[in-house]
Amino acid sequence: MKQEEQKLRKIIHIDMDAFFASIEQRDQPRLRNKPLVVGGSPWSRGVVATCSYEARPYGIHSAMSSYEAYRRCPEAIFIKGNMEKYREVSREIMAIFHNCTDLVEPLSLDEAYLDVTENHWNMPSATLAAKEIRRRIYQKTGLTASAGVSYNKFLAKTASDYDKPDGLTVITPDRADAFVKALSIGDFRGVGKVTKRKFDSLGIETGEDLQQLSEARLVELFHKQGHVFYRQARGIDERSVNPERERKSLGKETTLSQDLLLVQDMLPVIEELLDQVLARLKKDGIRAKCIVLKIKFADFQQITRRSTLEHPSNDRSELLEALRLLLEEGASGGDPVRLLGVTASEFYGPGEVTGGRGKVYKTVNYEQLRLF
Amino acid sequence: MHFTVDREQFVQHVQNVNKAVSSRTTIPILTGIKIIAAADGVTLTGSDSDISIETFIPAEENDNQYVQVQEQGSIVLQARFFAEIVKKLPGEEIEVVVQDQFATTIRSGSVVFNLNGLDPEEYPRLPKLDDTNMFHLPQSLLKDMIRQTVFAVSAQETRPVLTGVNLESENGELICTATDSHRLALRKANLEAGSDAPDLSNIVIPGKSLNELSRLLSDDDSTVEIIITETQVMFRFPHLLFYSRLLDGKYPVTKNMIPSETKTGVELSTKELLQSLDRALLLSRETKNNVINLKTLGDGRVEINSVSSEIGKVTENIDCDKIDGEELRISFNGKNITDALKVIDSEKIHIQFTGAMSPFVVRPTDHDQMLHLFSPVRTY
Repeated sequence: MKQEEQKLRKIIHIDMDAFFASIEQRDQPRLRNKPLVVGGSPWSRGVVATCSYEARPYGIHSAMSSYEAYRRCPEAIFIKGNMEKYREVSREIMAIFHNCTDLVEPLSLDEAYLDVTENHWNMPSATLAAKEIRRRIYQKTGLTASAGVSYNKFLAKTASDYDKPDGLTVITPDRADAFVKALSIGDFRGVGKVTKRKFDSLGIETGEDLQQLSEARLVELFHKQGHVFYRQARGIDERSVNPERERKSLGKETTLSQDLLLVQDMLPVIEELLDQVLARLKKDGIRAKCIVLKIKFADFQQITRRSTLEHPSNDRSELLEALRLLLEEGASGGDPVRLLGVTASEFYGPGEVTGGRGKVYKTVNYEQLRLF
Repeated sequence: MHFTVDREQFVQHVQNVNKAVSSRTTIPILTGIKIIAAADGVTLTGSDSDISIETFIPAEENDNQYVQVQEQGSIVLQARFFAEIVKKLPGEEIEVVVQDQFATTIRSGSVVFNLNGLDPEEYPRLPKLDDTNMFHLPQSLLKDMIRQTVFAVSAQETRPVLTGVNLESENGELICTATDSHRLALRKANLEAGSDAPDLSNIVIPGKSLNELSRLLSDDDSTVEIIITETQVMFRFPHLLFYSRLLDGKYPVTKNMIPSETKTGVELSTKELLQSLDRALLLSRETKNNVINLKTLGDGRVEINSVSSEIGKVTENIDCDKIDGEELRISFNGKNITDALKVIDSEKIHIQFTGAMSPFVVRPTDHDQMLHLFSPVRTY
């Protein structure tokens, strides 16, 4: 199908600005206008979940180790964060999105795609809808969001990133090509560390450079992903906004407070991670048929080991036994282990006994309406 | 100070004033109960600065002698200990003596307690309220009005004025309203023709005060006097005064929230609906959202259902006395509805729906003194 033949869609990507940190700064005046890091403590090998805009000039960013953040800015304030509260604020924001359109695809607590081609507010302009959403978010939560408006997901997401924080960027079809050309190669979807190195070695630094490569050449270099890069470079992205995107896996991991050598010392950590995963599975009434153990060693080498169960399960002892076997297989070599993770996947709903992979992971959302 | 008092009377009165005493007060003297012995009897006061209760034990009443005052005076004693002590004393009488430095001796039978008292001069004086805005109500009626509204006050402090019950009067009617912005309870009562109907508006009494007051109200028709000033309300019983601070702020205008049109009307048994919702809540309580779905069936019944993704679902049909108007599917917080149904003493209710996303009203069918308004839940 060709882009031209379809009616142009109106897609908004909304991304909250420094979400966790902004909530804390809103609620605790002493944190305002200060470099703030929400995440693990620098002394316990934690990582940065979010940092305030005041912390960013120091080069602090999410997923960096908290110790590194501390090294870059010793005067930064480190706090642990309150997921329960962030989830609550997230619900308020999602309710605003759903007020506008049914086609909302949440990517995380603070980020979502909206298809507003048709919307409950009967707004013909996606730009006005984005403005109204940003206004309502601010009015309801006191927080700012950045929005990108365009005719597909890739461009909308890239646009929301363009003028952060508190920005609104619109990419119309006639401006798309110039916009893509000017992107740095790292801004394209699916370009991580490894891929970027590959592009670097080819001298590809911008979207304009990327456009020079033929589709055949890209496929040769990157296989299936090559098609995606080819289309992205031309501002094409046909993925629809899918409000029922199912979660395919659910995992928890933790960096250990000190490297561990013995399987018996790791087991309690595995148990705790499994309990967190199970709590979530049980809340949603689902069972998993596959359980995955992730081990990162002190030298940052990482392995995963998976076990497929005979029947989908959320039984603690059964899953723990499977994990114990995986752990003995993966970690008995005596190398120091730095991080452990447990992930459940291949979900089944309450009624499903066999067959039908990943069918049910859908909760009914609700919003209590107000009298005044 | 020195007096002897009938133990039973004293325990009763101490317990009453103790209701107002909070251990979490910021004013240290308010952790105590103030005792004043005068020629005509003993006065006790307890307060947490929001609520204050003053009671009086007369020296003599109806040929009974309750108190003998040997020496007039006053003292403040730590409520925590004092209230427990008097309850557990063995004798028929209790003797209280204050010596120097507020040292207090409490004697009963062969038991002697020595307590360190506090300076009564530090205890704040209760206001003398101006009687101009005064009316009275039967105690049982006031108790009903509290019970039928106070459950709907907001539990959150974000809008303090919503943590209280609003009093207003109109055409000789007293109207009590409580709302947390998701539901609203309204109860009216005719003021007795004899009493000078006061002109009340935006009198907001904290829900907590009313819950405490309710425990002091009797179930009979003896009256209680109500005196209202700018910042305080006082309820006057024989030998007992109950003061409460009023809440600041403008209470929302609720009159125009109550819809007049009906899209779907349902009439059914209060008890049957309550029991059905209680059953459906067994599941939805688990997910903490209490969401219940209701839909009208074509055959004079409504279906109640609730789904919890982990546990399962429940469906049941209720026979209604009457259903008219449009077909309807609506979701709501079932807990809010059952809270209201529990205080509706009538056998039958009428529910006035105005659409799936609009507020609906529940009223008893046999009188128009009460209504409950609810906003639905939107599911997606």
